[in-house]
Amino acid sequence: MEKVLDLARANSLWPMTFGLACCAIEMMSASMARFDIARFGAEVFRPSPRQSDLMIVSGTVTKKMAPVLITLYEQMPAPKWVIAMGNCAISGGPFVFEGQYNVIEGVDLLVPVDVYVPGCPPRPEALLEGLMKLEEKITGKRRFPGPEERW
Amino acid sequence: MVGKIKTELGAALGNIEIGEVNYRERGYHLCCEVDSGEIVKVARFFDERGFYLAAEICVDYKEYLELVYIFGNHAALCRVKVALKVDPAKPVVPTISTVFDCAYWYEREIREFFGVTFEGHPNMTYLFLHEGIDYYPLRKGQVQVSAEDKKSLGSFQPEGAEDTFCINLGPQHPSTHGVLRVVLKMDGEYIEEAEPVLGYLHRMHEKMAENRGYLQFHANTGRMDYLGAMAFNLGYVTAVERMCGIAVPDRANYVRVIATELNRLSSHLMWLGAYLADLGALTPFLYVFDDREQINDILEPVTGSRLTYAYFRFGGLYNDVDEAFVAATKAFVERMKSRFVLYEKLVTGNVIFINRTRGIGVITKERARKQAVSGPVLRAAGIAMDMRKTEPCAAYGAMDFDVPVGTRGDALDIYHVRIKEMENAVRIIEQALAGLPEGPVMAEKVPKKLKPPKGDIYHTVETPRGELGIYIVSDESDTPYRMKWRVPSFSNLMVFPELAKGNLLADTVAILGALDLVIPEIDR
Amino acid sequence: MEQLASIIGWEALKMIVGLIGVLAFVVVNALILTWAERKVAGHMQRRIGPKEVGPYGLIQPIADALKLLGKEILTPRAVDKPLYYVAPMLIFIPVLVSFIVIPFDASLVVKDINVGILVILAFSSLSMFSILMAGWGSNNKYALMGAIRSIAQNIAYEIPLLLALLPIIMMTNSFSLKTIVEAQQGLWFVFYQPLAFCIYFIAGVAETNRTPFDLPEAESELVAGYHTEYSGMRFALFFLAEYTNMFIVSAIAVTFFLGGYQGPFLPGIIWFLLKSYLLVFVIMWLKWTFPRVRFDQLLNISWKALIPLAFINLLITGGLLKL
Repeated sequence: MEKVLDLARANSLWPMTFGLACCAIEMMSASMARFDIARFGAEVFRPSPRQSDLMIVSGTVTKKMAPVLITLYEQMPAPKWVIAMGNCAISGGPFVFEGQYNVIEGVDLLVPVDVYVPGCPPRPEALLEGLMKLEEKITGKRRFPGPEERW
Repeated sequence: MVGKIKTELGAALGNIEIGEVNYRERGYHLCCEVDSGEIVKVARFFDERGFYLAAEICVDYKEYLELVYIFGNHAALCRVKVALKVDPAKPVVPTISTVFDCAYWYEREIREFFGVTFEGHPNMTYLFLHEGIDYYPLRKGQVQVSAEDKKSLGSFQPEGAEDTFCINLGPQHPSTHGVLRVVLKMDGEYIEEAEPVLGYLHRMHEKMAENRGYLQFHANTGRMDYLGAMAFNLGYVTAVERMCGIAVPDRANYVRVIATELNRLSSHLMWLGAYLADLGALTPFLYVFDDREQINDILEPVTGSRLTYAYFRFGGLYNDVDEAFVAATKAFVERMKSRFVLYEKLVTGNVIFINRTRGIGVITKERARKQAVSGPVLRAAGIAMDMRKTEPCAAYGAMDFDVPVGTRGDALDIYHVRIKEMENAVRIIEQALAGLPEGPVMAEKVPKKLKPPKGDIYHTVETPRGELGIYIVSDESDTPYRMKWRVPSFSNLMVFPELAKGNLLADTVAILGALDLVIPEIDR
Repeated sequence: MEQLASIIGWEALKMIVGLIGVLAFVVVNALILTWAERKVAGHMQRRIGPKEVGPYGLIQPIADALKLLGKEILTPRAVDKPLYYVAPMLIFIPVLVSFIVIPFDASLVVKDINVGILVILAFSSLSMFSILMAGWGSNNKYALMGAIRSIAQNIAYEIPLLLALLPIIMMTNSFSLKTIVEAQQGLWFVFYQPLAFCIYFIAGVAETNRTPFDLPEAESELVAGYHTEYSGMRFALFFLAEYTNMFIVSAIAVTFFLGGYQGPFLPGIIWFLLKSYLLVFVIMWLKWTFPRVRFDQLLNISWKALIPLAFINLLITGGLLKL
């Protein structure tokens, strides 16, 4: 029964609209006509955290935004997942320099992250690959053959 | 105009020396230095003559702080720089927000970044920063924020009367604005007061500029306004080239114009889609992204990025365009003309859309000038000012295009102005493609580590959102001493509280969308 | 079967079987409509909707339903517990009751009450209670604003809805839906009363809170309207109720104006479902084409445009019937 539920959860991940910066535009591109994320069931971007299961953190997290992010994460009901999209969400990105005072170097300092998608900004195909990896993490099986298996 | 202002200002101020400056090198025509007692008089002088306060900048020169006021004019090209020296031990200056409304936020920003107190300013609380930051970020060396400073900065409390309640719009938005938080005091569905709270995406670009070389900082410019990144690139690169006196070959100039106009099209299309999605029509968003993807397909092989471009280099371009680029752009331009017809039919005549936007958020010419509004918002209010015509850089001087102007200043006019700007962008691209000369794309002998001569420059470009002003102070080293970005969305957002007052909540979204804000460029 | 019938009576048995059938239909209908919505939206937006999850994405709604069932049942601490719990359950009752009187075929009606349409209209007003309970009990400013807007909108559009149906009732002299369908043997009522059809359709779309009248759920202004604080299965119930309402509005339009289950060659129920789903498709088409109407303009449309028009139509019908 767990397996069926896991399959259902993986095939109907509803992301929350949490676009912070430039990566948000690529996230929107991923849900548009060319890179349609609706094929995988994830088109329903719910604005309320209570109705979504996936939080795609796309953009830089600053110290002022950190409490907001943690509040939203805690409002999501379990089971929930987090994708850190873009270099800023993974480790602060290009904004880490000596004397920096406002950027949190990586969203995994605040919430547990399941999948990291690198890039500045990552292409929409990279975000879709991140979604595939998350589905693999949930169900144990990949939907399409990955790049390393084909070559 | 310049001579007239010089004589009148000299007469008004008496014993001040007004220097005429080489405009080509510095970006302004006159400069003078005043005392803090006279700054309000100077501000009133410029206000009476129809100038606007383009920027208010603070530079830390270690022995003293210098406040730089840049006044510009909508009617003719005349820019005046007024400098004011402040003692760092006791930095107190009278405010000019009573004369020019846009100084209200300019001075709040200077207060929290430099510690300069403005007497008479109604609200000196945090704008971008927060209590966790212990020293003034843009001062050289570490200058601690004193305890009472922190208290006065942190005293923002939204409160309301009996029948009102406070509601937050953001910072997590279901719409596409980004991290903007607006605290609305509401009486039922009507808004009494709107107070934007910024700083949720403050990424310290100006401090990074002081730690990076000129070429290293180039990557940051694309991230400030990611929708109009080419225009920011163009402004930065031409500002530094102007300082160093580097001449750019013609072919590079034409390609720069084509790339910037393609980016302008892309940005306006995105605005169109996002605005309609805010109003409830979710389908045009996807049609618009289709066009954007076509533009990305043209620009990606040449620049390497889809969104945050860093294409131009000091002296030209690093990568030349080929026949495929020219052919693809020509085909795209042809297709775009038929797409305009489609958008016209789908949106412009739609009764619901017209009812949602007509008469909403009316900006008069006087308010636009006092708040230093720029871009399509200014043109919709009736003032025909476009930096591409007043101060053309790259090959804009050789292009023939119109500057569309609106009559009423409401959201519907802003929509029409932007549509016409898109059509004009297509015209410019066609002309540039037709006149693209052969030749090299990179100037010769441009040093890898640029060391511009000592001095400052104020350079402007027209981004899709308005007038971008870049103020660079160089001290002959290979990192800038101070770089200030005067972004158009910052002053455009300042108009929002007075427009929102008395309107419904649904109208707030219509007004905010029409202003076309990109929050990362406001927060820098 | 006969033993059961002898214990409780044939009528009661028919009711129970009918109710089970209705429940099954409601669930299947909701599944089909969620899939159809995403596919229709996708194709109107030049993309394909769900595709990977089963052939043509047909298993997508089942995946959604299972996922929502498996979510943590979260109750925020500050909600008003009785109201918060009861609201999603209450919203389902009007929906089920409405299905009792709708004739799917000449003999497929759970119970043909002789005041059928009054039952439907009365119970659809009950759903307003549920929305108000959801909005108030959530203890959230956005939910409250969404609920208040929804109630004002529902109250305003109930009146044109009723006024548009009255001419048909006057023409057939009966409130019972089966009689109304039977009276359309010759020519469908939509040709006699085109204006009433338009008014009814617009008012019906407004009653279901769909775009262009979806201010209570306006995503770009209020976070998610009156069901912001609901998650998991409770949220699914609100969703289900919305889609079923869409079907009921279409079904009533078909019954009153488009001839109900009548049609050549195919069995009645196929015609009924075909016509109803056609109208549902039109409602979805409207959602993905138009922007949202602002709230005061919304109320203006109802009070200043639809109600006077409906009254004029009623007067003309009454006059013509007299002659």
